[in-house]
Amino acid sequence: MAAVAAVVSIGRPSAATRVARIVLVLAALAVLGWLLVLPLLAIFAEAFRQGLAFYLNAIRQPDTVAAVRLTLTVAAIAVPLNLVFGLAAAWSMTHFEFRGKALLAALIDLPFSISPVVCGMMLILIYGKDGWLGGWLQAHNLQVIFALPGLVLATVLVTLPFVARELIPLMQAQGSEQEEAALTLGANGWQIFFRVTLPRVRWALLYGVLLCNARAMGEFGAVYVVSGHLRGITNTLPLQVDQLYQENFSAAFAAASLLALLTVLTLGIKRFVEWRHGDQLH
Amino acid sequence: MGIEISRLRRQFGQFAALDDVSLSIGDGEFVAVLGPSGSGKTSLLRILAGLDQPDAGSVLRDGQDLLALDARRRGVGLVFQHYALFPHMTVAQNVAFGLRVRPWRQRPRASAIKASVENLLRKVELEGFAQRYPAQLSGGQRQRVALARALAIEPRLLLLDEPFGALDAQVRVNLRGWLREFHHSLGITTLFITHDQDEALEMADRVVLMNRGRIEQIGTPEQIYRQPATPFASRFIARGQALPGVVKDQQLHLFGQTWRIENFPVEAAHEITVHVRPEDIVLASLTADGLKAQLLSLRHVAGTVRASLRVGNMDEPIEAEWSERDWARHHASADDAVGIHFQALSVFATDREGRVLAHATVHPPHASFPVAVGPWRRVEA
Repeated sequence: MAAVAAVVSIGRPSAATRVARIVLVLAALAVLGWLLVLPLLAIFAEAFRQGLAFYLNAIRQPDTVAAVRLTLTVAAIAVPLNLVFGLAAAWSMTHFEFRGKALLAALIDLPFSISPVVCGMMLILIYGKDGWLGGWLQAHNLQVIFALPGLVLATVLVTLPFVARELIPLMQAQGSEQEEAALTLGANGWQIFFRVTLPRVRWALLYGVLLCNARAMGEFGAVYVVSGHLRGITNTLPLQVDQLYQENFSAAFAAASLLALLTVLTLGIKRFVEWRHGDQLH
Repeated sequence: MGIEISRLRRQFGQFAALDDVSLSIGDGEFVAVLGPSGSGKTSLLRILAGLDQPDAGSVLRDGQDLLALDARRRGVGLVFQHYALFPHMTVAQNVAFGLRVRPWRQRPRASAIKASVENLLRKVELEGFAQRYPAQLSGGQRQRVALARALAIEPRLLLLDEPFGALDAQVRVNLRGWLREFHHSLGITTLFITHDQDEALEMADRVVLMNRGRIEQIGTPEQIYRQPATPFASRFIARGQALPGVVKDQQLHLFGQTWRIENFPVEAAHEITVHVRPEDIVLASLTADGLKAQLLSLRHVAGTVRASLRVGNMDEPIEAEWSERDWARHHASADDAVGIHFQALSVFATDREGRVLAHATVHPPHASFPVAVGPWRRVEA
């Protein structure tokens, strides 16, 4: 009861509700600390257990460097693709009425609910050696599965909803009045998009892109299926961590700490954006 | 020449937002489109602005087809109810927007844009606010920025959507007079839509009254108030209240009294409506005089007295309005029985679709005046 009172109390809290508040906050921090912060710290602790020299050596391994480069390459292709897709989807969902709108909304959410491994399998079924397009691709000497295009496709598929989902509620709330105003003032479609629509959603867009990026760099399941695990060639950083883990415990954690650093950095930027421009996000 | 709107029709599914709307607006005229929500006034505005297309009908400006031009090239300034200012631009950037987006051949020089923005801000009395953002302005100031922004493109028609709808009462009343003056100084043909009777009657040269997608009446504020053409106009503008009157054999029967009503065809009528305005209910000097009524409640509102009266066997009380001065002569208070007279009654005969077949204004002679004036004679029972 005290906990409920602490949540709903208005005005000056009594001593009991104050205690309940402190207990609740501490409990939340403890759970987060135990489940999230401690394991994250453990990764870094493990990575540095054999000293800085070993750590630097581990992350300078050519295979690991190649994996970092591949991960950044995949993210650098997949994220802009999803940026364009997300903007287009959100724009069409919020500014037009058309048949199949509900279907499009459901499709955008689909990657959230399908297991990434299944996403990978779907790609194999279509682009694989025995897949629907496999023969045609082989005849034209195009490698999709076990190569960069496959990795990009898998990543795009898995991170598809992030930008669109961030923009749709905001654009819905904003309505089309300002676009209509710009239209009556003589602006053309591009002018309306770049001068009116985009500036209004820029922070939400950045937020969506950062989330998308964090997910793209950390993606494991779908990429695992289509990668082929060729060291130094098709291993992204998460896959490299997985492979190292089977062989060299501490080196695996060194690579893992790199990956964690990349995503923590992304989330750090996200937090900063939220802190500076939180009022414009929703 | 002005603007000639003829036979506009706009259908949303089963709902007719505009049903055969025709209207002509003279050059430089200040016209109010008045109606309750859902009456089609917003649809009309959006079609004129080019944000929507009618299913049928035409709009001509100086003989030229306006509907053929898209919203960008129409030269129509639109001020939205919620202003729709661009929040990420300063006041000056907002006002300059319409000039800056022009194709570069037609775009004025930066210095010319700056000068015209300054000029517009001076006109709307916001000189010192050029570098502010919309979020830093009050509602009335935002409204004027929106107006300046719409005027920047030198529109030949200015449309205002509920211009004061989002403002508080005091600001609203102040801005009314200001906008009217402003219109006179500019002379741009202006059409504004509102659901507020006072606003329309106080500001406009001419009022277009709409209901359910149709135009009920067009006229000056005085005409519409004095001679409402339909039961809706009477109710909405003149605050007409329905009375249980019956017309039979050229006679109007109301609360046991009977008056003659001539040239009033009732054979084809589906419904007869009798309306009285609050100010046309007067107190008899003697309670025994006139119609018996029960005073249910009294409210004193800035110089007028509003009363709820129960008359005859009517369930709904009717509202009367008197000036404080008149009221002071009577010694009545709430719950008293009083005698009342009707000074004027509006009688409408309508067909099944609500079209008015006949309309008469009736001045029943007071019981204390034995001589009737005009076509009205009291029929002695």
